[in-house]
Formats: sequence, C-alpha cells, structure tokens
Amino acid sequence: MKEVVLQGLRQAYGNLVHMFAEFLPRMLVMLVIVGIGLLVAYALKMILRAVLHVTRLDRLSEEAGASRFLRMAALPSMTELLSRSLFWVTWLGFILIGISVLGVAGLQEQISRLFLLLPAIFVAILILFLGLVTANFTSRAALLAAVNAGYPSPKLLSWSIRFVIWALAVSMALEQVGVARQTVIAAFSIVFGAFMFGMALAFGLGGKDLAREFLERNLTEKKKEKFHEPQPL
Amino acid sequence: MLLQDENLWYKDAVVYQLHVRTFCDSNADGIGDFRGLSSKLDYLQELGINAIWVLPFYPSPLRDDGYDIADYTSVHPSYGTLQDFKDFLTAAHNRRIRVITEMVVNHTSDQHPWFQEARGSRENPKRDWYVWSETDTRYQGVRIIFIDTEMSNWAWDPISKSYYWHRFFGHQPDLNYDNPAVREAMWEVMKFWLDIGVDGFRLDAVPYLIEREGTSCENLPETHEIIRDFRKRIDLAYPGRMLLAEANQWPADVRAYFGNGDEFHMAFHFPLMPRMFMAVKLEDRKPIIEILEQTPQIPDTCQWCIFLRNHDELTLEMVTDIERDYMYDEYAVDKAMRINLGIRRRLAPMMENDRRRVELLTGLLLSMPGTPILYYGDEIGMGDNVYLGDRNGVRTPMQWNGGWNAGFSAADPERLYSPLISNPVYGYQAINVDSQRRSAHSLLSWTKSVIQTRNAFRVFSRGSIEFLNPSNHRVLAYVRRLGDEKVLIVNNLSSSAQAVELNLQMYKRHIPIEMFGRNLFPRIGDLPYLLTLGPYQFYWFRLRRI
Amino acid sequence: MAEESFLADEFLRQLMSVGEVDLLIGIPSYNNATTLGQTLQSVEESLRQNFVRERAVILNVDGGSADETRQIFVQSSDRRDVAHKGLTSLRTIHRISCEYDRSPSQGIALRNVVAAADLLRAKACAVVSPATANLTPSWVANLLRPVYREGLDFVAPLYVRSRFQGLLARDLLYPVSRAVFGQRIRELYSDEWGFSGRLASRCLEKDVWHEDAVRARPEAWMAITAAGAGLRCGQYFLGPKSAAPPGTGPDIVEAIRQTVGNFFWCMETNQAQWMTRSNSQPVATFGPDHELSLDGIPPSPEKIFDLFRSGVGELEPILASILTQDTHAQIKAIALSDRAKFRFAPELWVTTLYEFAASYHHAVLNRDHLVQALVPLYRGRLYSFLLENANTSAEAMEAQSEILCQEFERRKPYLVERWTAKS
Repeated sequence: MKEVVLQGLRQAYGNLVHMFAEFLPRMLVMLVIVGIGLLVAYALKMILRAVLHVTRLDRLSEEAGASRFLRMAALPSMTELLSRSLFWVTWLGFILIGISVLGVAGLQEQISRLFLLLPAIFVAILILFLGLVTANFTSRAALLAAVNAGYPSPKLLSWSIRFVIWALAVSMALEQVGVARQTVIAAFSIVFGAFMFGMALAFGLGGKDLAREFLERNLTEKKKEKFHEPQPL
Repeated sequence: MLLQDENLWYKDAVVYQLHVRTFCDSNADGIGDFRGLSSKLDYLQELGINAIWVLPFYPSPLRDDGYDIADYTSVHPSYGTLQDFKDFLTAAHNRRIRVITEMVVNHTSDQHPWFQEARGSRENPKRDWYVWSETDTRYQGVRIIFIDTEMSNWAWDPISKSYYWHRFFGHQPDLNYDNPAVREAMWEVMKFWLDIGVDGFRLDAVPYLIEREGTSCENLPETHEIIRDFRKRIDLAYPGRMLLAEANQWPADVRAYFGNGDEFHMAFHFPLMPRMFMAVKLEDRKPIIEILEQTPQIPDTCQWCIFLRNHDELTLEMVTDIERDYMYDEYAVDKAMRINLGIRRRLAPMMENDRRRVELLTGLLLSMPGTPILYYGDEIGMGDNVYLGDRNGVRTPMQWNGGWNAGFSAADPERLYSPLISNPVYGYQAINVDSQRRSAHSLLSWTKSVIQTRNAFRVFSRGSIEFLNPSNHRVLAYVRRLGDEKVLIVNNLSSSAQAVELNLQMYKRHIPIEMFGRNLFPRIGDLPYLLTLGPYQFYWFRLRRI
Repeated sequence: MAEESFLADEFLRQLMSVGEVDLLIGIPSYNNATTLGQTLQSVEESLRQNFVRERAVILNVDGGSADETRQIFVQSSDRRDVAHKGLTSLRTIHRISCEYDRSPSQGIALRNVVAAADLLRAKACAVVSPATANLTPSWVANLLRPVYREGLDFVAPLYVRSRFQGLLARDLLYPVSRAVFGQRIRELYSDEWGFSGRLASRCLEKDVWHEDAVRARPEAWMAITAAGAGLRCGQYFLGPKSAAPPGTGPDIVEAIRQTVGNFFWCMETNQAQWMTRSNSQPVATFGPDHELSLDGIPPSPEKIFDLFRSGVGELEPILASILTQDTHAQIKAIALSDRAKFRFAPELWVTTLYEFAASYHHAVLNRDHLVQALVPLYRGRLYSFLLENANTSAEAMEAQSEILCQEFERRKPYLVERWTAKS
C-alpha cells in the first residue's frame, strides 16, 4: 500500500516536473517576448515622439483647439498622448503574443476574443473621454453662470451637472463594451431617476421660495426691489 | 376753342433763337442785318428747324441790346429796312419756317416818343402812359430784377421832376397798363406786325405789367385780363398766330399764364433749365424729376417752351440758395462769369467742350416734353467771352467759316459790333459752320440728324411723359407716348459707364428699336430690362409691337 | 470650389444702383421698429444740413427682425425726399438694405457695411445704432467730418456720462487698451463710430469675420487694425450717452464677455503690434471739452460686494489656474476683509488683469470661461471704486482715472513677461 502511494506520488511529482519542464521554456519565451516587446514599444515611443516634435504636432493641435480639450481632461499633450498610446498598444500586442506562446488551452480563444473586443473598447474610451471633457466644460460653464448671476449653491448645480453627464458617459461606455448591458441600463435609469427625483425634491421643497420669487419676477407685474448694477458701457 | 391742327404748329416747332445783329452782315458795316439773315435761311432749313425767334430789331438806343425800344413799328437802320424784314419773312415762309418776333410790352426806352412826351409835361395826354410818383416809396418791398446795376425800381426824372417806375434798367420806364390807351396802342403795334405776316410774338416781361400796392407787383390778376384781351383779338383776327410768355416764375405760377387755353399759347419753363445742368453735374436725376413733378398740367392747346441757353444769363432765380451756390461753384468759378442771379456762359464752355455732354443735354432738350429752342451757335459748339459787359459774351458774331471775320462780315474786324471769339479752343478758326459741314460726324451734323429724328415722330412734340424711376439714380429714363407711338428715352447723366434695370412690364413683348441706327434690341420680357450705357450716353428707342 | 460670397445678389444689385458715394452710414438693426424711424430722420437731417453736395447712402443691415423694422426702412426708401424742417437735399440720398439670417451680430452687420463701403468707394463711413435714443444729426456729422474732411481713418465717440455710467470702460477697457495698444481712445467699445473707406477695405480683406470676438464687438478690432496699419485714429465729443432703461441692454456678464473677450482676442492676434510699444499717445480729439455730470442713480453696492466675495470663493479652483499664487492669495485676503473698509487697490487690479490676459494667451482653460471668471473680480473693483468715489468731484475722478492708466502703462513689462513665459 505504502509503495503504491509512494509510486503514485513519485509519478505525480514526475508529471509535475515534466509539466514545469515543458512550461518553463514557454514561460521564458513569453518573458523574453514581453521584454523584447517592452524595448520595442519604448523605442517606437521615442521615435514617434521625436518625429512628432519635428512635425510640430503640438502646435497644430494647439491651433486646432484639440490641446484645450486634452488640458481640460487633464491629459498630456497630443505628442505625449500618441507616443504613450503607441507604447501601450505595442507592448500589449507583444504581451498577447507572449501569452499565446504559453499554449494554455482556452487562452488562445480568450485572446482572440479580446482582440475582437478592442474596437468596442476603443469607442468606450472615446465616449469616456468625451464625457469627461463635456462634463468638465458644462459644469464649469454652469458654475460660472450661477456665480455671476448670484444664484445660490452654484457648486451644487455644477456638481450635479458633472455627475449626470459623467454617469451617462459611463453607462454608454459600459453598454458599448457589452458589460452587463441590462443591468447597467437599469441601474443608470434608477440612479438617474432617483437623482432627478432628489433634485426635484430638494429644489421643489427647499427652493420653493426661490421658485416663487422666480415666477413672481417673470410672470407678474409686481415690482420688487431689484438689484441695480450700473450700466457698464 | 378747338384749334385746327395747322394752328397748333408751335407744338411741333423746333425754334432757333437768334439776334439779327449777330447772324450775318450783308453790307460790311460790321453789324448783322436782315439781308444777311435771309442769305442764311438755307442753312437753317438744312439744320431742320422750322421756326425762328428773332430778338428785338426795333429802333433803340441799344442800351439793353434792343429791349429798350424807341419805335415799335420800324426796323433799326443797322439791321436794314422794313422791306428787308418783309423780304426775310417771305423767304422764311417759303422755306416753311415761321417767324416769331419780340413784343416788349412792359416798358419802352426812355427815348421812345411816348416817354419823351410823357415826361415833357404833367398835362401831356401821354403822361399817364407811364407810372409816375412824387416819391420813391410806393410799392415797397418789390424785388429788383437787375440787382447788379439797379438800386431801386424808381428812377428820378429831372425833366418832369418826379419818379417813374422801371422794373428793369433805369432807362426803361414801365408802361402803365391801367391806362386803356396803352393797351390799345400796344394792340396797334401787334396788329402792325401781324398784318405783315409775323407768326407769333414773344411777350417780354409779362409778369410785371400791373402794379398794386401791398403786392409783389408780379403775376397780378389784372395782368391776365390784359393777356386774355390780346389773345381774344388775335384769335379773332389772326388765327394760328402764337403768343409766347416770358415769365421767369415757378411752374405753378406760370400755369396761370395759360389760362383756360385763352391766354398764352406757350410759356418758357424757366426752372427746368438750370436743373438740367445741375443733374449732369450732380450725376443725379433728382433735380429734373422734382421740377417736372411739380409742373402742373396745362390745356391741350398749350405748350411749354424748353431751352438750354439763350441770350440772357442762365438764370438762377428759380432755385434754392444751396442750388445756386452749387451752380456757381461748378459752372461759374470765375466771378466774371456771373451776372445778376445767373451765369453768362454758353452751352459748350459750360460743358467744358465735352462733346458727349453737349450731345446729352441737346438730346434731353429735344426729347423732353415741350417745344425746344436752340440758341444760335450752340449747334456748332460756339464759345463765349465773359469779359464783355452785360450778357454780350454770349451774343458774339456767328462763326461761319475760318476766314475773314469768320464769314460774318466783310467789314474791318475793328468795326464789328462785337469782337469775335478767337481763342484756339472756341475761336472761329476751330469752330465754324463750314468746317463742320465737311464732316458727317461733327456736332453740326449730329445736331441735324437728331433734329431730323425728332421731327419724324410727333410723339416728341405732343406725347405724354411717364418717368420710369430705376434704382440707379444716375439714369434718367422716361417713355413718351402718343396714341400707339411709344418712345423710350434712357439718359446716363454720369461720367462713368452705368448699368440700369428698367421696369418695362407695361411694354412686354415690344421690340425696342434704337432710333439713330435703327437696330433691333432684345424684346422686352418679364424680367427687368437691362441696359448698359457709356459715359453721358443716351438711347432713344422706338417701342414697336409686331 | 469657389468660396460662396456672403453678399446676396439682391444687395449687390442695390449697390450697383447706388454707384460711387462719398459717405456711407450703416445702421445695423434687430427689432428696432420703435426707434428706427427717429434714427433715420436724424441721419437724413445731418446729411442735408452738413453734407449738402456729397453723394450719400444709408444702409440698413437687419439681423432678421421679427417686428416691423425692415418694413419701416423700406417704406422710408420708397417715399420721396420730402423737405423736412425746411431742408431739401441737392442730391438723392440713397437708402438700401440687406438682411442676414443668422443670429443678430454686430460683426456680420459690419461685414456687410465694409463690403458696401469698399464696393461703393465711400470716402467716409459711420455706423450708428437705432438703440441710441438721443442720436442727433450733429452726432452723425461729427463722426463723419473728421474722416471726410480731416483724413482720419477711425473716429470713436466721446460721451459725457453720469458718474456711475460706463465704469467698465473707465476702469478696465480704457486703461488696459491704452497701455497695451498705445492709443488713448476712451470709448473703444461703443454703438456708433466713424471710419474711412480705406480702413473698411483693409478690414474686409481680413479673414476674421467668423471669430466670435469680432462678431460680438467689431469696433475695437477696427480701431486696433487702424492703429496697427499706421492709420490715424481720433475721437469726437458727441454729448451725453443715453442711459439704457433699467433691465435693458447687455448685463455686466455679457458686457465683459463681449468686450474683454474681444480685447484679449485682439491682443492674441496682434502681438507684434503691442509687445514692443512702451507708452501711449493721445489721439486727435475734436469737439468741446466735456465734464462728467454729477448726477446719476446710485447703484446698490452691497449686493456687488456679496457677488464679489461669493465669486472668489466659489471659483477658487478656476482662479487658481488663472492667477499666480501670490495674486490669488491677495484677492482671497481682500475678499475676507470688512466691507466698509474694502479696497481693491489699483496695483492689484492691474496685476489681475494682466495675469488674466496672459492666461488667455496660454489658454489655461476655455477662453470664454476665463473671461467670465473675471466678472466677480470686476465687481470687487467696482465696489471699491464706488466706495472711494461716493462724494468725489469730477476732476478728482478724472485724476484717479489717469493714475490708474499710468499704472497700467508702468506695469506693462509684467504683462509681457507673463505673456511670453512658458506655460
């Protein structure tokens, strides 16, 4: 009995060693590929950066107004963005190739599925980017307008607008990549609806005086003491 | 009273105004005469005119170029004899040219026997033939017409020791038309000439016949009564003879002189004339349109007389102060060119010898409603001499050729009644009838052809006028209509090429035919009719519907 | 593909009919049916009284009025030149009009005006506003005369104002424009101004008509273009500036967005013109000396201070990205000070504006947002001004104004330094 167990263990150990012996070279190859990929990606990034500096892409981007959007979204300059994107795309490609060398069953399939998902991921990133830019821009515009008009709680208004736009962008991005579509739509609807309901309550109840004043000012002839600012021009 | 068409000859006339003294001298005394004038009737016939208006040729001290008459029923010896005049009249009539003479009804020369008698004694029967006063304070506020030379409308007569009234020069006492004897005397004068065969009279200075205290002494109702009386007598005894009023007034005031067709047959449209000159300088039709819109309708048997220049200064009485200043600044920069309230220059010099402008204005004269009057010499572009006194600068001898005294007279040049124009631009060597006759493209030839065209179509003399008012104000466009005959006249008043779109919808489907070259132009359709004109160019189109 | 022309065929046809002119008066309009008639009358009277012999055209550029503005103008074109107050005109006074179908914009209207001026070879032009209730014939003449007779290329108006009117011009636009561009034009932003045909042709060639800054307030850009081209600018005293009825006219936010936004844009696009200029020069000034009148409705300063204080607080992150730390700190400090003793010193104001200008150049954030962020700070400055000048004489106010202008000029090197610093 003891012999059988020992033999079984010796066999299992042997298999394991054999597996490792078979796996390790592939692992090494993968690491080499990833390492080479890192170097290649870095080199490509530097080359692209140099080329884009020479072609003055940043200036063109500034003149086209694209740089403003990048700054608004707290992103680096166009040259840097493209260089870094190229780095990551290149290295990711090498990583995927390296993983495919491992020969793990099923992984090939997942990797090709990942490749198929890339366009949708790209669109989702774009949606998030635009959402971020729009949210920043619109919320800041609302903040400035509310501050200059003397409305109460301008930050709340600004934050609310930012939240709504951001939530919409995230929902759209997730829907784009197909992650829990139904759940996301439902969740967004619930959250958005709840938010709007909450705002309505907040403004309706809390701001009823303000609402009354607004209506009185605009719909009735009753004169109230108005804020009189001197004629600027 | 319905006049027969022959009696309406004045409506179709193209009148040529001249002074016998200026035209042609037959006896080498340096002064033009009737025999000389008779010798030039062929020229006038060839030109195409069909009436001559002769300036005063009566015996006179000639202190106002013959408008100071000393004998109404004779001819100044310098111009010939009464027989010479009759011969001239016959010759003119033989060429189907009518003759209009002057009837200076308002005043006489102080050398006239009537005035000599009147001033001789306060008891003289002719005393009351003139307007006398012990003081010069009557008729206060009445304007002085010759402002450059006269200080008052009253003059002191040292012989009869009283003042006499004169609206013009001091040596031209006004006749007193409140006296029936004066009217009868004047009628006898008219009869005299009408019996000889004169076709019409230009009555000089008619607004001033009657004076009344507290008025402007112009255009008074009694004046019209007098005119009506003369007219009635003429119509009865001399049908077909014409009376032409010289009344330098606004059109609305001149209207009264037509009466109901029972006063003057014709009257000068004075205010239109400076506005034609103004429009060309301003390059804007506004002055012309405005004055014609203010011009009232006149009886069917009556006619306006229109002109560009005449023997007097280009009068600026009937314009605003702004307009007068503008005219002075544009046309009479040299103060020697100004006299009274006017400009004493001829047509060609005023147009800076620009043939295009001369043609444009002549074209306007011959195409606007009214009987046109051409001033002698303007058909060849004669110049003027502003340094001669009074208005004599526009009354220089006619320039027939480039030879001795311009062919005007065989006398010594120093003997001429007036020096010739002799500068290199307008002098007789450059501007004369003979040299222009040699060219089919001279101003003279052009004038002849345009008169001929005008005479061929009655629409010019009798037709209505409808102004098209295109949005381009530099273009003056109008349609003359008489029955089925329609003529479209388009004038570019500016010195630069112009495009104009005319609304001719009313004449849709008509074909415009240019009247000088007789070429067809595109048919009028639904869209505005586009024309382009060169500087100062004008078109006359016959609109035919075929 | 050939570029579409912005001149409509019908407008071009009207220009053809007018031909060459000496004077062109442009009247941009939008829903001005109640005042356009009066404006037209003043313009025509001016032409009849002062420019009798000149060829003139009145051009109405309408931004798609919903009321009867266009009909009123067209009807006035159709009626004859009737004598008014005993004045007739020697020439036809042309009246033409055109319309554009985008939202109302001074810049688009002006583009049509300069195009007309160029095509008609106008020697002198003026733009007048039907919203100016007290436009008189002499105003029109005074804008045209220096151009037509004296050969100037740009004429700005000069107004007599009540003490509390036009403070944006007095405290911001005039001092900064004077310091930056070197021309002492008091009313660079106005509703009426004059310019030459030469300047019109030059402006027409520029490809800036699509810019929001030019669309809103083109007049300052014209003046700056003139100065940059070495053309002569001047100003003419017109009279009292009409006070807009309370509740009408652009509010302070809109006014600052249009004027300051336009000014910063002019700085951005004309750097070579102003960077090396070190001091300002007076411009030819016509008309009698004027003084401020001392009457005027006192504004409500307390609310102004509240808006300033809340603005500084709420916009802290935005202001932090625009201003230097030191300036931002100073502003935060004064925002916390006692309102009765509040003072927004001229030196701080100058620094603030210059830092805003530099940040505009570096586009640290959306430029329109940047300009809007100036509003609370302007209110602070305004409050300080009102406190200090509650009982000041006109001469003292003028003297203070001059001191402020000199401070702007003195600190100009700081502007250049901030402008040229690497972002």
